[in-house]
Amino acid sequence: MVKDIVRYPTPPSVEFATDVRQFDEALFSLIEDLKDTITENNLDGLAAFQIGSYFNVVVVKDENGEFLELINPRIFTTEGKVTTTETTAYFPGLSAEVTRYDKISLVYQDREGKQHSLQAQGALSILLQRKIDYTFGAHFLSKLSKEEKAKFEKKLEFGADVAISETCPTTFKRDYFPKIANIALIVMALLLVGSLFVGDKAILESMWSAQEYLFATVVLLNIVYFFYAHYEAKRYTSCISCQTGNIIGTMLVSIIKLILIMVISYFLINPN
Amino acid sequence: MARLVVLGGGVSGHTAATFAAKWLGSQHEVVVVTPNSKWNWIPSNIWVGVGQMTKEEVTFDLAPVYAKAGITYKQAKAVSINPEGSESKEKPFVTVEFTSEEQAGQSEEIEYDYIINATGPKLNFGATPGLDAGHTVSVCTADHAVHASEELAKSIEKMKNGERQKFLIGTGHGMCTCQGAAFEYIFNIEHEINKAGVRDMADIKWISNESFLGDFGMGGLHMKVGGYAVSSKIFTESLFTERGVDWLIGAHVSKVEEGRIEYELLDGSTGEEEFDFSMLIPPFAGVGLKAYNKAGEDITDTVFAPNGFMKVDANYAAGSYENWKASDWPKTYQNPTYDNMFACGIAFAPPHPISKPMSSPNGTPINPTPPRTGMPSGIIGKAVAHSICDRILKGENAPLHESSMADMGAACVASAGKGFFDGTAAAMTVYPVVPDFEKYPGTGRDTDYTFGEIGLAGHWIKHILHYLFIWKAKLKAGWTMIPE
Ligand SMILES: Cc1cc2nc3c(=O)[nH]c(=O)nc-3n(C[C@H](O)[C@H](O)[C@H](O)COP(=O)(O)OP(=O)(O)OC[C@H]3O[C@@H](n4cnc5c(N)ncnc54)[C@H](O)[C@@H]3O)c2cc1C
Repeated sequence: MVKDIVRYPTPPSVEFATDVRQFDEALFSLIEDLKDTITENNLDGLAAFQIGSYFNVVVVKDENGEFLELINPRIFTTEGKVTTTETTAYFPGLSAEVTRYDKISLVYQDREGKQHSLQAQGALSILLQRKIDYTFGAHFLSKLSKEEKAKFEKKLEFGADVAISETCPTTFKRDYFPKIANIALIVMALLLVGSLFVGDKAILESMWSAQEYLFATVVLLNIVYFFYAHYEAKRYTSCISCQTGNIIGTMLVSIIKLILIMVISYFLINPN
Repeated sequence: MARLVVLGGGVSGHTAATFAAKWLGSQHEVVVVTPNSKWNWIPSNIWVGVGQMTKEEVTFDLAPVYAKAGITYKQAKAVSINPEGSESKEKPFVTVEFTSEEQAGQSEEIEYDYIINATGPKLNFGATPGLDAGHTVSVCTADHAVHASEELAKSIEKMKNGERQKFLIGTGHGMCTCQGAAFEYIFNIEHEINKAGVRDMADIKWISNESFLGDFGMGGLHMKVGGYAVSSKIFTESLFTERGVDWLIGAHVSKVEEGRIEYELLDGSTGEEEFDFSMLIPPFAGVGLKAYNKAGEDITDTVFAPNGFMKVDANYAAGSYENWKASDWPKTYQNPTYDNMFACGIAFAPPHPISKPMSSPNGTPINPTPPRTGMPSGIIGKAVAHSICDRILKGENAPLHESSMADMGAACVASAGKGFFDGTAAAMTVYPVVPDFEKYPGTGRDTDYTFGEIGLAGHWIKHILHYLFIWKAKLKAGWTMIPE
């Protein structure tokens, strides 16, 4: 019988990935259901979990398109690593770059409980590894590198592979501008406090002019920041922190601080 | 006055003897027969094996502790039991041979009213040809671990001098248990090699009889990784990948020679692996106690299972995997033939493995045998002591206390590297230890209580437990409050 395929976000569960102990009618009909569902959906294989069963059973199509029934499969040797783009019925429409073993040896039982062994390479090896992972409660997210995982989680959020050609970086070149502006603001604040201890008019005058230069520098930095940040944002389409609102917000904070310091300085430092 | 004789002063026997002495008071006698003068907190041998602890830190003298507890201490090893007595002796007795220097060569027949067999495992290095020839190291005893750390230091020195080293760690036979200890050791070695700055000179490989990584002899368990609950297989595979450790499983090591081993795999194929440094856990067997009836006839087969462990109230006729039940596991640990005889810890004969049984097409069994880790060993020891004390104090018909491993949870903290700031350990809890397929359809475990996580906090817990258990074993203030 064709069954519904379990899809994300139903979590795979180790609670259900359990070894088959009884080789009976219930197992045979599970295997038939897996085959019917594979054929109906034109898939290359399914783990029992993917049609909602709890058993450690995998059915795949081998290189010749024949069904291979694997009960309680165990991979015990591996060789070589390959990275390929994988898709799975669990995450329809999505793909990820997954690194797996190129060659594997496994043992499994047939319907009668008899043990067999198998060596697989290339596409079949990758398919078997992916399906066996399901029977142990995992999908390919747990096999992804950190970067690939971040990318894939974005794809999950958007529900598609498209427009996720890059991930949003956490540091940007544009951040240097507010950083320098902040240093200038700290110097201005220090000058302001320092002026309280200075009585000499000439010194106060040069302090005020330094304050004016710094003011101009901070204003300039903010203007450059505004334009550069927009330029940079265009390169990261999926970047939330690159939005104009954020850029203007950062500028506003800097300008408000600047105005405050400048107004107080005008009354305290300016000797004229 | 009744006499309880406890054979073996390890985790299980020491727990049983100290609680029995406390509960029985001075009205009755508790005798401990154990061959070593020192008690060893075995889990910390891993750190001795990588030079991060000394032998002195993981052992202490038993004599003063037993003197304080009012326990009669015989530094001796038991060789046989006469549960019916003999023609010349009315009461049952155990024959022991002294091992201390002063009494070496002497033996004694110690009569008993009750006996607990807590002799733990015989480290059966002889089961694999060459495993006992010194080509590999072990961390199963504190002395072995000291030797292992010296060999490791030599390997690290060689790597510093530009010589590549291959490390092969795991199980030395198809029927080993204690994968957890080997797991701890391989990652502690990796951690130390990293610290020594020679990680790039080391090839580290795991070899074990598990049919999937993370089986640990318990058919696996669940781990919480990044918010997802996955099998210990997925967790362990990613840990191996992350730490650059290669693996080979489903392997029965069939021969060990200088610098190389031969193995047979689950598909019947054979292969070999070379090494410069190797730690392979030996299979366990019973310590080889004999039993005789009143007429002096050998009844070892009646009292002990073929693997040398003592028969208890388990179902040894459970048959094949599909018939295994939680109820096959013993509850009272009483010998079915002699009701004043009990076994606890590793010394009792389990009814069958916990992991799925597997074998190669040649018929070689390749699957972990059931682990009996520290926590269950301690809990069982205490329950057995409780039963015996009740029978002595309340009468022969007092009900026995039950503590089945199918009804017991266990917590285990597996070290993956020692260090105050950079240490890691996987903390795991499993309930029940033996899966109960009827109560928990599926994996047989309650997933709410079966999980694990890895991190620095785990390492701190492991380190604190080291001090806590040694404190408890020394019977220092509040020892009874510290759980097993
Ligand atoms: C390296 C290593 C690391 C481990 N790490 C952990 C861990 O992290 N957590 C955990 O829970 N478990 C761990 N374990 C398992 C734990 O050590 C055992 O579960 C526990 O020691 C079993 O207790 P026991 O009393 O049955 O046996 P033991 O502790 O081995 O005690 C048996 C005692 O019997 C004595 N004996 C032997 N023969 C005779 C005889 N003929 N007559 C009298 N006495 C005899 C022995 O000398 C010994 O003192 C580890 C084991 C090893 C080897």
